[in-house]
Amino acid sequence: MKSKLFVLLVIASLMLAACGSKPAAQGSVEITFTMWGAPEELTVWQAVVDDFHKANPNITVKVDVSDWDSYWTKLNTLIAGGTPPDVFAMDAPLFLDWQSRGALLNLQPYIDANPGFLDGFYPQTLTAYKTADGYYGMPRDFQTIVLFYNKDMFDAAGVSYPTGDWTYDDLLAAAKKLTIDKDKDGKIDQYGIWSDTWDMELLWSEAIWSYGGDIISSDHTKTLIGEGGARDAWKFIDSLYKEGVMPTPTTSGEFGFDLFQSNMAAMTSIGHWAVPGYVGAKINFDVAPMPKGPAGQATSVNSAGFVISKDSKNADAAFEFIKFALSEAGQKRLAELGFAIPVLKSVAESDAYLKQLGTLNQQVFLDSIAFARTKPVFKGYEEWAGIVGDGLIPVFDGEAELNATLDELIAAADKVLAANK
Amino acid sequence: MDYGLKPLGREKLWLWLMLVPTIIGLAFGTIGSLLATLGLSFFDWDLINPPTWAGTENYAALFENKNYIEAFMNTLKFSALYVPGVVIISLLLAVLLNRKIRGVGIFRTIYFLPTVTSAVATALVWNMIYGKETGILNFMLETLGFAPICWLCTNNAMMSVVIVNIWGAIGEGMIIFLAGLTAIPRDYYEASSLDGANDFQQFFRITLPLVTPSIFFQTLMSAINAFQAYDYIYMLTRRGQGDSSVPVAVYSIYRNAFHFFRMGDASAQAIQLALLVAVFMAIMFWWERNYVVYE
Repeated sequence: MKSKLFVLLVIASLMLAACGSKPAAQGSVEITFTMWGAPEELTVWQAVVDDFHKANPNITVKVDVSDWDSYWTKLNTLIAGGTPPDVFAMDAPLFLDWQSRGALLNLQPYIDANPGFLDGFYPQTLTAYKTADGYYGMPRDFQTIVLFYNKDMFDAAGVSYPTGDWTYDDLLAAAKKLTIDKDKDGKIDQYGIWSDTWDMELLWSEAIWSYGGDIISSDHTKTLIGEGGARDAWKFIDSLYKEGVMPTPTTSGEFGFDLFQSNMAAMTSIGHWAVPGYVGAKINFDVAPMPKGPAGQATSVNSAGFVISKDSKNADAAFEFIKFALSEAGQKRLAELGFAIPVLKSVAESDAYLKQLGTLNQQVFLDSIAFARTKPVFKGYEEWAGIVGDGLIPVFDGEAELNATLDELIAAADKVLAANK
Repeated sequence: MDYGLKPLGREKLWLWLMLVPTIIGLAFGTIGSLLATLGLSFFDWDLINPPTWAGTENYAALFENKNYIEAFMNTLKFSALYVPGVVIISLLLAVLLNRKIRGVGIFRTIYFLPTVTSAVATALVWNMIYGKETGILNFMLETLGFAPICWLCTNNAMMSVVIVNIWGAIGEGMIIFLAGLTAIPRDYYEASSLDGANDFQQFFRITLPLVTPSIFFQTLMSAINAFQAYDYIYMLTRRGQGDSSVPVAVYSIYRNAFHFFRMGDASAQAIQLALLVAVFMAIMFWWERNYVVYE
């Protein structure tokens, strides 16, 4: 008898708990916001959400942060299960994959209802989310790729710091001087440069553009990474590996991938997201613009953005939240994170961003916009990037020949484009 | 093949009652998702829009998808090396540790330890062993005057990964074989040694035939594990953004389903993998009927 009573009690308390989680006040809504990111980002986002809740007491935002890999799996599962989050984070290159499949809400009516809303934005950050019938997403913050250098290593080797006039040949020459086998055991203890050449964003898209090549045709049907100047860019990148001034992908893996952060590389080309890590590792570094190639100077601009689910039941509240996060107050909070550049010009050019780390030359990230090109956005991006990225690793590990491999990969990459038309 | 006692009357009721949780789990979790996968393999589904009928298109695409073929062949190669490796080494280990030697408990614990350690942690340790620049293995090679080897580069990665997986699995195999070995009556060995049989003759004529039930079981389990192997492999061969130098079938299924918006293709790949396991199991059960000795 006693046990039955206990079971009843348990059931009763469960029912009570279930009732408790229903929205209490009338007219108040709860929206969900999921994003990828580091645990420390949750703290700052919680602050943004709290500020927003103060300004809009009837809207509560539930933030959920996962790491990059689990984020996409989770998102897919939520959408397939018919319970999509109201607002979710989007990586610009993947935007079309989601937009073209009808997962996203057209934000144009909201933008039209808020005249002047887009005025303060860097225009380069907006293009990724624009389609024929308007915007289906908004950039939240963005990245330009610049050249980071370790001042201590440059000083020790007596090499002068990189400048905006450097060419890729200057980069290679300096990298050679900065590649050092300190204890003469035949193993390199300090590399001239480290970068990731799996994804295009860190080095190879910049190099291809600077050498006069391109990534993909404007109608997204043809992979161009093997044509014209692009081949010269690949030859240059391959030479960084062949000369031994850049660790091979497999060697990088051994040292936790980012050798600049582990104080083993004198330079790297990367975005602002790496700054907190480098500061945390007490690296004495500064930044310079990307080098010039035969066809001029180029870098990549890419953004993380917000999108709203097409099936969101609280789309109005969701847009209010996006609007707040993109306001000066929201953007200033996000600038505190130090992971990215605010999309609002007024915030990026204010002390909130420029003075966040004292001596670091934050202006370089902003000045790079002048010659930046948007990281390509096309359908089938991830599969395409996988084919190219996975396929080139044996080349850079010294196990395959560059040109033959490129030819093979381009054919396979074009197939992906055809399948995603 | 009737074993043990038969449940009677009221016992039967309890039997089913006790089995209910497992049956529900099996019905919805395993059989349900298997049927769903089978169904989805005939559809195109991006997880966002409703699935659309694709017929056998996804299966035809399997034979044109170079990446999947590579992953599938990797799984086959891996299994061909891994299964015999695990079975033979853990059997030999069990025979060695079935003797009355000092500290046998310590040895058994040591060999069983990888089984209970997290795959991520052990993969990190193996990364330190295999490292091209900093690895212990290359340090030993160089000390002996050999050239260092890039253990985890594309050309050697398969072998390196198989070694780690075998190392991680022999503990479990050893337990199975130890149980099988202790079930063999001592009399057989005593009688045969009176007749003048040596250790080798005893192993091949007595131990091996009588341990065949364990060999059967262990081969089956190893094969299933081999077809599903993923964690050690990915942790050892990942290079940056979701890429692996030894992509296996499970990895291809995951990538297609959750990153490439191709749930239908992923389902077809999963079904093909399941069929392969089924065929292998059918062969194993045929082998069991003809060669496995139950006392």
